Amino acid sequence: MGREVPAITEIWVYLSGSPLLALILTLAAYQLGLWIYEKTGRNPLANPVAIATVTIALTISAIDMPYARYFEGAQFVHFLLGTATVSLAVPIYRGLSGLKGRVIPLTAALLGGGLTSILCAVLLGRLLGLDDLLIGGLYAKSVTAPIAMGVAERIGASPTLTAVFAVCTGVLGAALGRFVLDAVGSRAWWQRGFALGTAAHGIGTSRAFSVSEEAGTYSSLAMGLHGVAGAVLIPWAAKLLGV
Amino acid sequence: MIGGLVRILLFQGLGELISKFVVPLVPGPVIGLLLLLGWLLARRQVDDDLQSVAAAFSRHLGVLFVPAAVGVVTFLPQLREHAVALAVVLVVSVIATVAVTALILRFGSRESSRGA
Repeated sequence: MGREVPAITEIWVYLSGSPLLALILTLAAYQLGLWIYEKTGRNPLANPVAIATVTIALTISAIDMPYARYFEGAQFVHFLLGTATVSLAVPIYRGLSGLKGRVIPLTAALLGGGLTSILCAVLLGRLLGLDDLLIGGLYAKSVTAPIAMGVAERIGASPTLTAVFAVCTGVLGAALGRFVLDAVGSRAWWQRGFALGTAAHGIGTSRAFSVSEEAGTYSSLAMGLHGVAGAVLIPWAAKLLGV
Repeated sequence: MIGGLVRILLFQGLGELISKFVVPLVPGPVIGLLLLLGWLLARRQVDDDLQSVAAAFSRHLGVLFVPAAVGVVTFLPQLREHAVALAVVLVVSVIATVAVTALILRFGSRESSRGA
């Protein structure tokens, strides 16, 4: 008895019920994003994460796949966020070994920058009439996304909105950073890198690495330290500002 | 590579346990990060195994938050309604953050600035 050829709808039902489809979609969209990023000469506006997100969002709407079902498959990628967070200890350690006498200015800059990010976003957001849901997502936006989402859960904000705002912030920081740094007269590479990493986490850091190794190292140090400081301090800030 | 991954997973697991039972306010992976950092500071070196895993993660950190970011589809109505305000908030606050951080470093460090 020969096997019947399954109907195309049957194949589709099988595939869309398996995590494989969401996994392929996620990685293929990211690959597309990377390809466009390289083709545009690493233009920070052609950010691979943003491109992948938009591509997947359009695809799952087109095939009528609910987000929850997409996430069932994509959670295997999502799970590695925690593991990636732990591995940030390595760039922090490497950055720490070259600090010399810069500990005090760096700590002050990190706290000042982190506080500016929160106050500016939350107060301006209130002024412009954003609701609490959206404001909650703004608190951790300058923190590297894996940590930001953990922080968001703890302050009762939406991890999704936080991740989206974090990506937007990273893209904007990487694109605008150079002009802001020139405008405030920042010259030394380590200072430029640290400022970029504090404001624009991983996306700023990859930008910093593409212009200078020293800037990149300090940027990843800033990203790691902002992550740790944010995880400890943002829940307090959120309580004070009343989320 | 595998040895490095095992170590990172162990520190993550330890961090999750400490977060669950001791300091619930700090996410487990951040505690895992601090534990790993402490371990590196104590050993004073990063072995190649750990270095290669960490490099792979930091090179492709972006892909890991794609699944969560796609969740944006569930918030489209709110985001559309406040699109202009959100754009203003995000642009202004990232400019302010870069500027404040850079200014504190510029005036807070006694080193003479060099480079371009």
